[in-house]
Amino acid sequence: MIYLDSAATTLQKPSTVSTAVAGAIKSVASPGRGGYRAGMRAAELMYQCREMAANLFHVPDPEHVVLTANATHGLNLAIHSLVRPGGTVLISGYEHNAVTRPLYGRKDLTIRVAAGRLFDSDGDYEAFERAMTDDVDVVVCNHVSNVFGFIQPIERIAALCRSRGKPLIVDASQSAGTLPVDLTGWGAAFVAMPGHKGLYGPQGTGLLLCSCETRPLIFGGTGSNSLRQDMPDFLPDRLEAGTPNVCGAAGLLAGMRFIQQRGMDNIFRHEQRLCRRMMDLVAAAPGVRVFRGDNSQSGLFSFVAEGADSETIGGLLGQRGIAVRAGLHCAPLAHQTAGTLDSGTVRVSFSAFNTMEQVERAATAIRMAVKTARTR
Amino acid sequence: MVYYLIICRSLTYAQRTVRILERAGISGHVMKTPRSISKEGCNYCVKISEQRLTDSLKVLRREGMAPKQIYLQNADGAYREVKP
Repeated sequence: MIYLDSAATTLQKPSTVSTAVAGAIKSVASPGRGGYRAGMRAAELMYQCREMAANLFHVPDPEHVVLTANATHGLNLAIHSLVRPGGTVLISGYEHNAVTRPLYGRKDLTIRVAAGRLFDSDGDYEAFERAMTDDVDVVVCNHVSNVFGFIQPIERIAALCRSRGKPLIVDASQSAGTLPVDLTGWGAAFVAMPGHKGLYGPQGTGLLLCSCETRPLIFGGTGSNSLRQDMPDFLPDRLEAGTPNVCGAAGLLAGMRFIQQRGMDNIFRHEQRLCRRMMDLVAAAPGVRVFRGDNSQSGLFSFVAEGADSETIGGLLGQRGIAVRAGLHCAPLAHQTAGTLDSGTVRVSFSAFNTMEQVERAATAIRMAVKTARTR
Repeated sequence: MVYYLIICRSLTYAQRTVRILERAGISGHVMKTPRSISKEGCNYCVKISEQRLTDSLKVLRREGMAPKQIYLQNADGAYREVKP
């Protein structure tokens, strides 16, 4: 199989990740509960994971790194913490359902969309500038679109939020591990990310970087302040009720070490090189439209083919051992903004483990799949 | 031996305290706070030797982590609260 769906989850992980998970399963107990060795070993793993994340993503101290189940969990926590009843929230035109569903699920909110044109960084920023009026309470923006790989001008959007005094939540699901993510530099209130995509950790892991007041969504034991019936007022305990995913954290730590060793920038350039070559090859097929943005595009892209259904192409590729994702990618808003809501797209995404040889083979398979899909 | 116990609000805070002390060449050990002195239920503390308290407090204050509660553990195992 040629795996080209790393925007959903990275399937190929560094070998150290499975070793770390297996080692943890055999040797750790619950952290923050007992003072015995296996419990303290678990606590040390959790702390090292927070420490590493704090270093990578510029969090002032490891206490402000909350371990979550995924990015969706982190985004729900961030939205729940910041968005008050009756509030107005400004979001980008490229948000995932992990952002839009928690917002639209609250019937009392006003949701405004800053919909800039695809791959138009200046236009995107200007859309935020126009829409960020006094009545906006919170801004939510993803760093990179999960459908098109559009790198939104997050530094400029963050600066705009700072200058207008608006708290910012960043969804770094598609950028953590490849692009600089900087909680402090951005002055963001929260940054949420999955552990299982660009950080190469196991599924069931994620991180929420916090710099402001938080409100828990889950209540329960934390191993601290146990006489009190309200949740602790300090992080990470406030947002981490119940036994945490220590084995996952062990794997995530190994994944982050891999990134640190290889270098985020090297991984990004590798993925972008593969992505550009693949876009060239796929775009050469007749009737295929590749959505490309050159400097404002990360290591993933989408395409549509005239007269061929995106899900049919995805299905045919799957049968030929090429794993891509087709459809709406849980981001109908992004498709609406780009004008692909009716067709959906086929998305191709890369990781540090893909090779140029895979790109050549997969591109040939894509051209064949498009041809076949047109006959169906 | 006589030890000091620096009471911490959470396990993570205790771990952070130990890391900061380690960087200053002071060894500390995270342990569960004895029930008899943990006022708000289960918690963790950092155990340091008697001789290192002054240096530890200096380092922690510099990092904005001045302890709120410190106990002295006597050789007989009894605890006595001391002013930080």
